This record gives sequence, structure tokens and C-alpha cells, in this order.
Amino acid sequence: MDKNFLQSSLKDSLFTGLIALALFGPIVGLRTVAVNEALVVQPKWLVVALIVAFCAVGRFFINIYTFKKDQRRGEPSSFGKAISNFLDTKGSQIALGAVIFSIIFPFLPFADRYWMDIAIMMMTYIMLGWGLNIVIGLAGLLDLGYVAFYAVGAYSYALFAIHFGWSFWICLPLAGLFAGMFGILLGFPVLRLRGDYLAIVTLAFGEMIRILLLNWYELTKGPDGLTGIPRPSFFGLPFKRYPDEGVETFHTFFGLEYSPMQRIIFLYYLILILALITNFFTIKIRRLPVGRAWEALREDEIACKSLGVNPRNTKLTAFAVGAMFGGFAGSFFATRQAFISPESFTFIESAIIVAIVVLGGMGSQTGVVLSTIFLIGLIEVFRDFESYRMVAFGGAMVLIMVFRPKGILAKRKPTITMVKEK
Amino acid sequence: MSEKLLSVENLTMKFGGLIAIDDLSFSAKKDQITSIIGPNGAGKTTVFNCLTGFYKATSGSMFLNKDNKTLDLKKFSDFKVAQKAGVARTFQNIRLFPQMSVLENMMVAQHNKLMVASGFSLLGLINAPSFLKKEKEAKEISKYWLDIINLTNRADDNAGDLPYGDQRKLEIVRAMCIEPHLLCLDEPAAGLNAKESAELNKLLKFIQKDKKTGILLIEHDMSVVMGISDHVVVLNYGKKIFEGTAQETKTSPEVIEAYLGTEE
Repeated sequence: MDKNFLQSSLKDSLFTGLIALALFGPIVGLRTVAVNEALVVQPKWLVVALIVAFCAVGRFFINIYTFKKDQRRGEPSSFGKAISNFLDTKGSQIALGAVIFSIIFPFLPFADRYWMDIAIMMMTYIMLGWGLNIVIGLAGLLDLGYVAFYAVGAYSYALFAIHFGWSFWICLPLAGLFAGMFGILLGFPVLRLRGDYLAIVTLAFGEMIRILLLNWYELTKGPDGLTGIPRPSFFGLPFKRYPDEGVETFHTFFGLEYSPMQRIIFLYYLILILALITNFFTIKIRRLPVGRAWEALREDEIACKSLGVNPRNTKLTAFAVGAMFGGFAGSFFATRQAFISPESFTFIESAIIVAIVVLGGMGSQTGVVLSTIFLIGLIEVFRDFESYRMVAFGGAMVLIMVFRPKGILAKRKPTITMVKEK
Repeated sequence: MSEKLLSVENLTMKFGGLIAIDDLSFSAKKDQITSIIGPNGAGKTTVFNCLTGFYKATSGSMFLNKDNKTLDLKKFSDFKVAQKAGVARTFQNIRLFPQMSVLENMMVAQHNKLMVASGFSLLGLINAPSFLKKEKEAKEISKYWLDIINLTNRADDNAGDLPYGDQRKLEIVRAMCIEPHLLCLDEPAAGLNAKESAELNKLLKFIQKDKKTGILLIEHDMSVVMGISDHVVVLNYGKKIFEGTAQETKTSPEVIEAYLGTEE
């Protein structure tokens, strides 16, 4: 082995050990224990020494075995290349497989209540990701307050359903409409802003909506939240074991045994359909003039103006359409939970959705699905480890950024072609 | 004697205390190539930015004759100059949509008419035949222009992946897609080699002669300016110091002084 290389690897691993010492020394090494009602520092230097040694030795072996061929930087390993290649070329096959899998999912043997709940949650995030993908991925407007539209959708659905008793299929479009209007409301003041400045204002907007919901007690019941939101029914057939007098239920109508899973499966297909509508709408509108204008605006706003594209209308439609789908997802959330409070619409939700879109690959529909499975899945897998969940989340983001810096699926397909069709 | 297309009268642009353009008047005729030249910082690009609505001129007026009507360009704000008045422009540092394909670049330039054809997306969403027909026409127009600059076989590649010279030409034909009356080109020959500038000359001549589009040209490359300009306006420190034909410009003592300085 090259002596220079060995030397530099050794140096590097010593440095890693130093960093590990600086990090773990105070965190792990100094533990405070209560002895006789007083806090006493109890050093644990052996554990620290073990961790530091592990990091240093581990780094040394990574240096020697993994980075050896590649001179530490440059070409990824052949395994990484194969995955990259697969993701770059097989995007549409992955998408088709995912759709088929999600349709048969409820009937798979392992799909019990727990898995269905996770699937519904993931599907909600996928739909939100697809909605935000219009704003961030296509129009390039970094919106950090997307959860506000989710909240507007959920609250308007809940209020309409509770106060007027309208059915799900009337409240859903209304909630979408309201959220879309809020999208325009946010759009107007931020028309001239770009990048960081836009991100700050949208972040503030998201918080404003949440604080408004907290304090407007007469309408939203503030921190108490709204309860008794009607559950969705299967075209008028409720999912209840003991229905009211003279009301036919889903299981009696179809002559089935009552099972609480029926409602869960219905909810699953509901969000699947809503998400797929979002998806097909986005795929279609991307190929229309307005979709191309969104992408052109992301690429170069000044060039857009010089070609007579109206940047104001283009941005507002992006905000409105993205917000509308957020509102649809919000209505679904409200009807699934039957209870909503401002607690569900904190900034971390926005951050997760933005992470899903960015890590999936800006503008890629399939990428959103893959990154949702990866990120939300990891959070779920680590549910039992409480405080390590966010570490896992952060780790997943770092991994994606290291191996796929442009997102999981970064390859963009042109919206219209000329050469290929000949 | 051809008809007047653009007349700029007493145009002044101030940035705080700095006077970028000082009482400038000139005119450009239909089917002619008018060049604006001058040393760096003379205010050439500022003139373009005023004309195309990117800046609001401090004072003065700009009129465009379009279909026997006189339009006051000062009344149009940024994108409306292109949309309503039909003034297209290119940029000194190329501004394509680099992550979009060449064809998509051409389609975005035809945005306004396609937007109407797609019923503001409603007809487009249901694949209305009237929209599909218009879209096909727009594609034909794109193909027509791409054929002229020999880029048809790269129509599906990202615009940002094209060689520099092709990007310049693509930006010009993209501007032509809005069917402009006046095409403003900001240093189209910058960074081109001799062969590419010769091709550029040919393209500009074609636009001028066959498309009957007036061209306003900012250029440093004298082979381009002298080769194709019908009319030359020379600026220095925001003021017009000379106006005339290419031949007259070459021998004008004021111009030589502005570029080379005076003899002591």
C-alpha cells in the first residue's frame, strides 16, 4: 500500500477522533447525577474513550477500504452507481410499480391496522409533497409556510361540516377553494420577493395562520380544537356498528360482517384517489402553457418578462393551485382525525414537506414518493427510540444529499418533444 | 425611404446623481438595422432597459409605430412591452431557461397566444382539439426557426447544454417567436468566433429582410456593426456624439476621439 496514503489516512482518523472527543466528551462524558439532593458531575471517561476509539478506527478503515480506489473523492462506488443509474433510467417503471402496489396494499396479509395507519399518513404526506412540488419544484418559489394551507383546508372543512352539516363531497371542494384563496392572499405581498426573502415571509405567514387559529376562540375554539367533525361516509352509507334508527350502514348494505377496518380501508382509498388526482393534474398542467411558464419563471424571471410572460399571474396561479391541493389534504386530515387543533399545524410539518420535495428531486413526482417513504418510514421505524427519531430524520437527509445531491430523482423530462417522436 | 419605426425623444435616465442617459434622441426605421455603439459604460444597455420597460425613464418619450398606430412605450410596464407593443430583446449575458429543452424555450416565448388557446388552462386540461391544433402550430413555428439556426436535431436537449454560439442564436430566434416589430439585441456577437459572427450576420440580415423586423443592435464587434448596420448611433457618457451611416461613422473624428482619445 502507498505509504503516503496510509499516513494521510492515519492523520485523518486521528483528526476524526479529536472531533469525536470534542463532541462526546461533554455530551456523554460528563453526566450529572442527583446525590443527596445535590447535583454531582459523574465523569464517564471509559465510555468516551471507547466511542472516540470506535470513531477513529472506523474512520481509518473507511479511509483504507472505501476511499482507497477513489482517492477519497470523485467516483462513487459501483453499487452507488448502479442505484443511481437505476433511478435515472427507471423512473416511470418505479412509478407504475408504486401505483399498483398502493392499490393492492390493503389486501396484503401483513396490512393490519398499524400498517394501514402508516400508509394513510404517508399518503397524506405524498399528497402534500405533490401539492408543494407545484410551488417549489415547478415555479421555484421556496414556500416554508405550506402547512398554513393544510390548516386552512382542515379548519374550513371542519367548520362547514360542523355548522352546516354538509357532506364530505361538498366541503372538500369548498375547503380547496378557501385554501386556494389564501394562496393568492399570500401570493400578492410576496410577488417581488425571491429566494431567502420569500422563504422568510412564507414562514411568517405559516406562523400567522397558526397563531390566528389559536386566538380566534369564537370561531376556532383556540387551543381546545374542533371536535365532532363528521366522519366520511361511503356515498351516504356510514361506517358504524350501531347506526341510528332507520339508517342503513356500509356493512348492512353490502351484507358484510362489521369491522372497523372497513372505514380505515375506505379512508386509505380516499386519500389514494385524492393524491393520484393531484399527481395526474400536476403531470397534465406541467405540459400546458401555464406549467411551462412556471418552470420558465423558476429558471429566469427576467427572461420571462422579456418574452411577455406575466410574472404576477404566473406566480399567483402557482401559489393558488399548490395551496388548493394543500387544502384538499387538510380536509382529508380533518375528516380522518375527527378532531383538529392548531397543534397539528406547526412549522415542523412545513419543514418535513419541504424536505420531502427537495430531497425527492425538485419537480419530480416519483421522487416525492420515494423520499416520503424514506423519511416518514424512518421516523416510524424509530418510533420506539423517541429522541433518536429526529437524529434518524437528519441522518436520512444527509445520506440523500451525499449520494444524490440533486435529490433522489433529479432527471427532468421535457414537457414536449420534437426529435423523439419522428 | 422607409417608414419610421421607433423614435426616441429627449430620453434621460438618472440613477440618483448619476446621469446614465442625457437627453438622447434618435430614431430607427422599419426594415433597417440600427446599431448603438460606444465605449463601455456609455449607457447603451440602459437605453435598452428603458425601451423594454425594465427601467422607467426619468424623462423623455419613446414612440413605436405599429400597424399605423403610434404607441407610447412609456405606458407599458416590463412584460407588457413584449406582450402588447411587440418589442423583443436579448441580453448581454445570455438568459435562456437552461434546465428546459430548446423546444420548451421556444414554446415559452409563444406563451401568451397559447395561454389564450388553452382557455387559460381549462381547455388544455381536457385536451380540447382547438388547443392541440394551436399547440401544434406553435411547434411548427419553433421548428421553422430551429431549422434556420440548424438546431432542430437538438430540440429536446437542455438549452444550457448547447455550445455558447448556439445559445446566442437560440436566444435570438426565441425572441423572434413573439413575432416582434422591433428586436433589440444586446451584444449578440460577444464571445463568438469569426465564423459564428458571420453566421450571426446572415441570421440578422434574414430577420431584417425576410421578416421585415426592425433591429436595434448594441455591439462592440465592428465587423458585425460595419457589415450589417444601415444606421449607427454613437453614445459616450450617455450623450449622442454621432449619428450616420456605417461609412460615415468610421471616418468621424468625434467617434475616433471617443474610442481612442485625443492627441495631445
